Amino acid sequence: MLIGIFWALLAGALVGLQNIFNSKVNERANSWATTALVLGLGFLASLVIGLIVEGKKLFAVQHMELWFWFSGIIGVGVVVCMVNGIKLLGPTYAISIAMTSQLVFALLWDSLGWFGLEQVPFTFKQFIGVIVIVSGIFVFKFGGLLQGRKPAVQGE
Amino acid sequence: MRGLLFAFLGGALITLQGVANSRISQSIGTWQAATLTQWTGFVTALLILLFIRDRKLREFKQVKPLYLTGGALAAIIIFGNVTAIQQMGATFTISALLIAQLSLTFLIDSKGWFGVAKQKMQAPQFIGILLMVAGVIILRF
Repeated sequence: MLIGIFWALLAGALVGLQNIFNSKVNERANSWATTALVLGLGFLASLVIGLIVEGKKLFAVQHMELWFWFSGIIGVGVVVCMVNGIKLLGPTYAISIAMTSQLVFALLWDSLGWFGLEQVPFTFKQFIGVIVIVSGIFVFKFGGLLQGRKPAVQGE
Repeated sequence: MRGLLFAFLGGALITLQGVANSRISQSIGTWQAATLTQWTGFVTALLILLFIRDRKLREFKQVKPLYLTGGALAAIIIFGNVTAIQQMGATFTISALLIAQLSLTFLIDSKGWFGVAKQKMQAPQFIGILLMVAGVIILRF
């Protein structure tokens, strides 16, 4: 489990960093050019590391299913939703809602055991845990706004 | 209302991306999954870019080179996300991920790194992160 926590924390920190870098690009270029650049570099980096780790095995792909080819489009959907959400609601509100929704769906899919996830029965304890986390997100995002804290601009 | 729907759907898709990646990784391997999904996403974004008029690729030149490289972090993000989801499920993974994400954003904001407007450390952000950690503890133990 410690390995899992380590990777989740590292991934989260990098998402925070990436959001800041991407929003700097987005200030100058339009959001589709930014998205193409971000995904293109993500592809190159995955390809290079994959080749180093796996060698030629990277391309010896078996057990391919048709939908695997289309799942990359989810990332494009994320951009469309977040760009429009932030435009309509502002970053603080939009990102708080999106983070809440991330957790709600994680809980939903864990308890349904979809996508090969190990099914974790939904309990009252989990419900309370998620409510407390969500309240933390809103305190973080909205606390201090009254004192004029400028919200951090994010968006994947 | 439309904004709410967009933000809500955006969050759902972020989680969907994580669990889909972890499912694909089970079948074909994690680096294969990362390479494949970033490639198909890239091609899709590129096609959309070709269809819209407002193409300002030249403006990349006005951005500091460091900031242009943010996309490359996705390789590690996807690997980390998939590994964590496979080890401890989606809820716990997303919770830990969000705590790290907000903590780093907070640190960068308060130090004014990467040219972001420097902001004073304030109690609500500390309390928010503490609440999130408390929530994770309730979730797990």
